[in-house]
Amino acid sequence: MESKFTEAYQKTSEEGHESDCDKTAHLLDLIIDGEASAEEQSFFTTHIEDCAPCFESHQKQKLLKNLVSGHLKRVIVPESLALSIKARIQETA
Amino acid sequence: MSEQTGKQMSKEEKDARFEAELLPVLDPLYNFAYRLTLDEDDANDLVQETYLKAYRFFDYFEQGTNAKAWLFRILKNSFINEFRKKSKQPAKVDYSEVEGYYNSDDVEGEGGVATTTDLRTESVQDLIGDEVASALNALPVDFRTVIILCDLEGFTYEEMAKILDIPIGTVRSRLHRARNSLKEKLENYAKSMGYNNS
Ligand SMILES: [Zn+2]
Repeated sequence: MESKFTEAYQKTSEEGHESDCDKTAHLLDLIIDGEASAEEQSFFTTHIEDCAPCFESHQKQKLLKNLVSGHLKRVIVPESLALSIKARIQETA
Repeated sequence: MSEQTGKQMSKEEKDARFEAELLPVLDPLYNFAYRLTLDEDDANDLVQETYLKAYRFFDYFEQGTNAKAWLFRILKNSFINEFRKKSKQPAKVDYSEVEGYYNSDDVEGEGGVATTTDLRTESVQDLIGDEVASALNALPVDFRTVIILCDLEGFTYEEMAKILDIPIGTVRSRLHRARNSLKEKLENYAKSMGYNNS
């Protein structure tokens, strides 16, 4: 049994004492943003093959990113903007 | 002929190079400005100011380096220094900001859960887009910024660190917190769409 002290200690010092699930959770953003190293990537992939909760959090995080990248509409640049930029630049010495 | 060193160029040459290298960033830059200010006129002013500043410093801009990141950085600094002071209200949330939009077409098809049949129709796509926009606009501007830079514009963490003048570790933690809060805002909506199975 872990004492409360140990629990608190583990929260503050994140080295060495992480469970694989914690480690996977910390890698989540790196993975979906394509910023993970090959080693991190392979650890992550192996872990989510066997761990349903981590698999699911990965799905959800990917979905969230895709909601922004795929569904957020872009505003159309007013046609006059490029023209006024060019005009103001030409006036500039 | 000195194509390499910017400094002896004639004004015509300089202007032509400036337009060729930096104007292609206009679309993402305007979108970024709009997502920061949530106002079309402010976005317009902010973008113009950014280009004028960029023009003034164009001699120091090295050809072939990351023009997009450079302009985003100038714009973000202008926003912090000037616009943020001007507008006293935290963030105008305009739920009817639908005019003149189009869907970005580079949807990554790997969203698994999101591709159930009834999500394919255009009107549902629009609804999702509106909901995402509302949720995003309701976030504090620092959170909104990292999500736009990362998920919409595809900047790397390293580029984001340069644009925002913060360490990569701060980029990571800010992005993480931003996503959690976006998730929270979208949660009720997600439940109603049958996404959320927790
Ligand atoms: Zn796990």
